[in-house]
Amino acid sequence: MKPIFPVAVITFKEGIRNRAVYGIIILSLLMLTANFLICEIIMREVGKVAVDIALSTVSFSGLLLVLFVGINLMAKDLDKKTIYMVLARPISRTHYIVGKFLGMVALIIVSNVIQGCFAAASVFMLNSMYPAYFQRFSWMMFILALVFIVLSLTLLSALSFLFASITSTSFITLVLTVVSYLIGNSLSDVKALVEAPKAAGIDPSPVTIKVVQTAYYIFPNLSFFDIKIQAAHGLMLSFPFICWTTLYGLVYTAIIITLTCAIFAKREFP
Amino acid sequence: MRRLYPLIIVIMLLPLYLVSLSTVASYKKAQLRDRGVSYVLPSALLKITSLEFDELMSDYLFLKALTFYGGTLDRTERPRIKKEEWLWMYDVLNAATDLDPYFLDPYYFANANFTWEARMVKEANTLLAKGSRSREWDWMLPFFMGFNEFYFLHDNALASEYLMEAAKRPDAPPMMETLAVRLAYKGNRTKIAIVFIQETLKKTKDKITRRDLEIRLEILQDVLALEQAMEVYLGKYGKLPRDLKQLQARGIIAHIPKDPYGGEFFIDKDGSVKTTSDMFVVTK
Amino acid sequence: MDTIITFSGISKAFKEGISGRRVQALQDISLEVAQGEVFGFLGPNGAGKSTAIKLLINLIFPDTGQVLIAGVDAGNREVRRSIGFLPENPYFYDYLTAEELLMFGGRASGMEKKEILQRTDLLLAKVSLDHARKRPLRTYSKGMVQRAGLALALINDPKVVILDEPMSGLDPLGRKMVGDIILELKGLGKTVFFSSHILSDVERFCDRVGIIVGGRLRLEGRLDSLLTVGETLEDLFLREVAKTGQKEVL
Repeated sequence: MKPIFPVAVITFKEGIRNRAVYGIIILSLLMLTANFLICEIIMREVGKVAVDIALSTVSFSGLLLVLFVGINLMAKDLDKKTIYMVLARPISRTHYIVGKFLGMVALIIVSNVIQGCFAAASVFMLNSMYPAYFQRFSWMMFILALVFIVLSLTLLSALSFLFASITSTSFITLVLTVVSYLIGNSLSDVKALVEAPKAAGIDPSPVTIKVVQTAYYIFPNLSFFDIKIQAAHGLMLSFPFICWTTLYGLVYTAIIITLTCAIFAKREFP
Repeated sequence: MRRLYPLIIVIMLLPLYLVSLSTVASYKKAQLRDRGVSYVLPSALLKITSLEFDELMSDYLFLKALTFYGGTLDRTERPRIKKEEWLWMYDVLNAATDLDPYFLDPYYFANANFTWEARMVKEANTLLAKGSRSREWDWMLPFFMGFNEFYFLHDNALASEYLMEAAKRPDAPPMMETLAVRLAYKGNRTKIAIVFIQETLKKTKDKITRRDLEIRLEILQDVLALEQAMEVYLGKYGKLPRDLKQLQARGIIAHIPKDPYGGEFFIDKDGSVKTTSDMFVVTK
Repeated sequence: MDTIITFSGISKAFKEGISGRRVQALQDISLEVAQGEVFGFLGPNGAGKSTAIKLLINLIFPDTGQVLIAGVDAGNREVRRSIGFLPENPYFYDYLTAEELLMFGGRASGMEKKEILQRTDLLLAKVSLDHARKRPLRTYSKGMVQRAGLALALINDPKVVILDEPMSGLDPLGRKMVGDIILELKGLGKTVFFSSHILSDVERFCDRVGIIVGGRLRLEGRLDSLLTVGETLEDLFLREVAKTGQKEVL
């Protein structure tokens, strides 16, 4: 297990020093500044909109991190053969994948903590500007929402690792990851739609229903981790729900990483 | 043996995966059910945030309203959908049609559900007016507006105006003009309503909506029959009957028809026939 | 003398492109390198030198035959504890510094921090990168990257040093430095296995050479026994290549 950590460390260092990370942070600062402007033109639920935008910013910049920094970390290793210098060490391919992934998770966590602090600062300031609109707001839910964002990004990142281990170019990995992200976020809604008893005006064919149901078990249900609504309205979530969702995320991630390792073990690097 | 490790791990994790998936899904479903309705961002803002994907955002918003509506179908409480939920749906559809004013489905959905069920006829017509402006080739939208004005809001003059507008558009059925003219006079409300619904039925493919319309048509035909019977009664006895049983007792009708929605027909104070299921209101 | 590297009956084919056409990269290669030897692997471009080296590092797997290092299958990761490897045209992480690169190499080989720091000082001085040790590798020239790669290959004080085209991309000074290092390693009793198509280098350092053309090992043996009087390695090489009917521009 020991060789995992050096890999994780260089992955993290390489990732955090990437120029793209600064770009992402600047973008999220801009979005959070926009939060103040938007909240000024909102008439009814300032608190809700403020939290919505703050959390969406964190989530969005995390997505950019996974798509543009994360995928590159792995793809560059394969494209530019950096992987040679790693595998030339007494490091197995499983060590490599797990180390790489842990480095990426560390990167997601650190970036989320930084962005989360910015987001919290903007919410805090808006809170003191319009305290009347924040009566139901709870910091606990806000933090939980951030944790769930980390879980969902971790899962997405694991998927990008799987795709990178199958495909040969980073572009295809990027496309597949984006597609999974889109599917993952709409899957629950689509399933609800096609399975609704007699959803207004919708009569899907049995094939459609089967396809959606199969996809439901294969693709990650990223919308499970989306608790922005609850955070925005200060709605409480039950403890078992939190545990089960966390478990779901971890188990899915573990399965994907295991598959990635299995594929990687057979892969050659000519 | 080593090569089997991944397989073993995956097999061990699979049950955990399936259990957690279904557990979280059921929690989510419950949350969705008692999810209050939320605030809809103003469409001007959505237009900015959706970048070049206005239409996609519009589709998404519409689907959101549709799924929400679909999800309420198995609710047991009455009324099935709360007032603020209708208002939220209105906001969503309004935003969706702001982003893509040519998108027919939201108008169609609004017309089908905001009128009969939600009694938000004014709101429905506001949306339809937006659609009618954008889809200037489409006679359906002014036709719907005309019907709503006539049937729910009892403004025959305005209804006639909308129908005239509809009649001018390409492919409008020829009866449109006649209907518009007839509306301009004080005509038989129930009869005109029946013609309206028959016309809508011709254009409706969706099974569920068709069934709803057919039931409404059936009720209206029953009401029409009862009203005609009352006129016969009036001619015979010089006054209106006190209740429908009198019609039966005097042999003018064989039996009182059954309301498919489970209500009962009765004569209201103003002398019009109504049903206790209250699926629609016919007042004079 | 102990045998440290063994190729026995190695064949390797690659699928090429979408068509899946199989291209035979190595055909029935058998080769042994003894402890303390400097072995030069010669061949025209595309002859299979890199393929053989990648088999040693377990980056690819043989179709038939076995690759052993110190009697252990190359697939066992533990054998790489005593190996140093410099890939052809190495490329390392953009944003790491040379120091961090060596720290990674040492840690990954299970070395103690103190020992790594000591060897880092020593090796960076040896490859003349002392002045640039805290700069990200992104700012390095091609030759500097090559030298950093050499330092990385040696960080774990390996018994076997495998160098794929170590001279490419280096200026004459750099080539002399690499040559000196190879000779020093030889003096320390290390085994050096390196590929090159620069014959004068090979001639200078090698005890033994193998000439590979078209995936087949054409000739293998001690340099002094292979060369007849008055013949250079270049003559020998061209003769071997000509035998196979290949026209190769060196």
